[in-house]
Amino acid sequence: MIKLNETPVRTSRNFNINNITLENVDIPKEVGDFKKVQIIGENSKIKMNEECSEISLNYGLSDFFTNQVKQKANQKIRCNVESKTEKELRIYFDFDEENLQLVDDIEIIANEETKATIMIKYEADEKLACFHNGILRVVAKKGAKVNVIFMNLLNTNSNHFMAIENEIEEKAKVNYCIVDFGGKNCITNLDSNLLGNFSENRIHTIYLGKEKQLFDLNYRGVLRGEKSNLEMEVQGALKDNAKKHFKGTIDFKKGAKKAKGNENEACMLLSDTAKSLALPMLLCAEEEVEGNHSSSAGKIGEKELFYMMSRGFTFKEAQKLMVRAKFNKILQNIKSEGLRNYILKEIDERLE
Amino acid sequence: MSKKGKTMSKTNLDEINRNIYDIKNKDEYDFKIKKGLTPEIIEEISNQKNDPDWMRDFRLKALEVYHELELPTWGPDLSELDMSQIATYVRPKSKLNNSWEDVPDDIKNTFDKLGIPEAEKTSLAGVGAQYDSEVVYHSMKEELIQQGVIYTDMETALQEYPDLVQNHFMKCVPVYDHKFVALHGAVWSGGSFVYVPKGVKVDIPLQSYFRLNSPESGQFEHTLIIVDEGASLHFIEGCSAPKYNKVNLHAGCVELYVKDNAYLRYSTIENWSKNMLNLNTKKAFVGKNAKMEWVSGSFGSKISMLYPMSILNGEGAKTEFTGISFAGKGQNLDNGFKVVHNARNTSSVVNAKSISKNGGKCTYRSLVRINEKAKYSKSSVSCESLMLDDISISDTIPVNDIQTDEVEVSHEAKIGKISDKTIFYLMSRGLSEEDAKAMIVRGFAYPISKELPVEYAVEMNNLINLELEGSIG
Repeated sequence: MIKLNETPVRTSRNFNINNITLENVDIPKEVGDFKKVQIIGENSKIKMNEECSEISLNYGLSDFFTNQVKQKANQKIRCNVESKTEKELRIYFDFDEENLQLVDDIEIIANEETKATIMIKYEADEKLACFHNGILRVVAKKGAKVNVIFMNLLNTNSNHFMAIENEIEEKAKVNYCIVDFGGKNCITNLDSNLLGNFSENRIHTIYLGKEKQLFDLNYRGVLRGEKSNLEMEVQGALKDNAKKHFKGTIDFKKGAKKAKGNENEACMLLSDTAKSLALPMLLCAEEEVEGNHSSSAGKIGEKELFYMMSRGFTFKEAQKLMVRAKFNKILQNIKSEGLRNYILKEIDERLE
Repeated sequence: MSKKGKTMSKTNLDEINRNIYDIKNKDEYDFKIKKGLTPEIIEEISNQKNDPDWMRDFRLKALEVYHELELPTWGPDLSELDMSQIATYVRPKSKLNNSWEDVPDDIKNTFDKLGIPEAEKTSLAGVGAQYDSEVVYHSMKEELIQQGVIYTDMETALQEYPDLVQNHFMKCVPVYDHKFVALHGAVWSGGSFVYVPKGVKVDIPLQSYFRLNSPESGQFEHTLIIVDEGASLHFIEGCSAPKYNKVNLHAGCVELYVKDNAYLRYSTIENWSKNMLNLNTKKAFVGKNAKMEWVSGSFGSKISMLYPMSILNGEGAKTEFTGISFAGKGQNLDNGFKVVHNARNTSSVVNAKSISKNGGKCTYRSLVRINEKAKYSKSSVSCESLMLDDISISDTIPVNDIQTDEVEVSHEAKIGKISDKTIFYLMSRGLSEEDAKAMIVRGFAYPISKELPVEYAVEMNNLINLELEGSIG
């Protein structure tokens, strides 16, 4: 039994959300090789399997998972961004029978006034039972702009543990588009530190759960810089017996004058046995801020479904269209049409 | 115009006198139990109160549970609470009376200054007044007695309506709920019992007022209200205490049974002194097509942990919570609301507000749980927090636990300061900055104050003015 992904502030134990307890999860003591990594784009920025900076996460899933990456990472990737580039850099991890365990440490350092778009994709064949534990650290220095497209397309037999940490300096921007579809257990910890004045962070996530998938998504944005701006938009759909915990925290620290934080989480329940647990937190120690959060859960609108079915769509097709429509808002942030279509196809397949 | 605004504000401030809450009578009592928590002390309380055997056994069992349970691992720090320094039972020098003339002068004067006898004459159908651990006054209008309404102190109810009490006492709030409920079960004393028979509508509110005078003591009153099928009631609870240097404890318990098609509104203006730890528990069982409304103003206490709860057990049951917390210097008010939807077509509406100033901390903590069988249920939660300076803290910690698909659940929260534009607008209309801010704060609190009977709305506005005095502008 392991306990991880503690919320930044505890609430009543009876609410069952302070952390997640997992039983019967096979965590490898020794991690084998993982060789199926593909890098597409400007390779000069990338240094493979050199020592990254010493890992010292402010938050993370738990000491155990952080230490596993520290001590046993079988892929270390450091990306040093030194210019402005429009071209995407793509890092693909493809699990197969010979590459079943990945413990990766990825570091992206965007130097002052640079720009980069980085796509990271994890994918696995349907039947494999894979293990993934990863850490992604993004440092955006003054005036840098980093777009991260993060795609977890693992199957529903695998375990996916991910800790993401961002440090965002003055006038820097970090945008995330996260597609979290995979993992029998999909446990994500995302910690953004908006350190500089005018720093910005947009986190746009879609998740899609089926069968007995469990999602535990714990996002925290800490606003310290004046006029810093954080936006969290999380859209999800759950079918079968899938279960989701979303813990989203906007934390305004003293001194974050005129900072803004907005968080919206919406969960579509596609079956009467799917379960949604949400904890949207606002913590505020500064007067001059604007903080908003909203959270909703419910079935897809019957009127909309009826309208589409009256136009000849089957129930399943209409349901897919509704999910696509909700998710499209977030997928619009991905410039590549090919990639968007790839994700939409994945949505269709998972909703079958 | 500016001058006029200033004058208006001053007039309001002159109308209230903080001292009425801080009246400190001499610590005189008929009996005060020694400090601490032991089985012997519990037995002694039981002896003093002439409990029936089942209640004595219940108290001792609750004490065991208290020792088994841990302090909460969340929320405000309660480490300063040392139960070995708290006297859990203080019997005042007064028996239960049904005429104010028979209440001893110093106690009567306190309630006079709090305006209780006057309110009884003008706007209440019945009043209960508790001083330290015992109720010293209880009275109800004759016509309600004739309709079969029972409104009495808990001790009398235990003797005169034993079955009704035994069948409901701590069934809604079991002693295992949390450590301070168990403590309450062991040492409870005083409080009110109300039974409204089937179909009886009590149009004018009943009110119980709880006053804690004795230093280093606790108040553990138990309120048990049963509103039978098709009946209705508005019950008001008020509380205050003078300030002492050492910690006082309030761990009351409110159990409400709102039967099928019944209606209950439970209003509270809480203004405990700022050395009080207010660890109160309130819960309602709501039956088929019944409605439970909570209206709550929380101004006092050093630490407050208070989360009224509605359990919607009957199909079509409804609940509403309308509450405001106002935390000033040295206060940590961790308040909120919990609702569990257990049946189809149930609904909950929450409108919570908080104001923090002078380093005070407000937390809104909540739970909305919709269980598998509660299909076609709806819940809507709105919470707003206002920060009046940059040394205060305001947190929102809500949990939404949705276990079925045919539901509509929404939660919204926002946090911020008073808008400069609005202040500018009001100042351009002649108000001083101080008056403009005070007006905005009163407007912010208006959705709550409008739900209160007029005299309590005035009291709440007065409390807001008092809290704002010198803190803004």
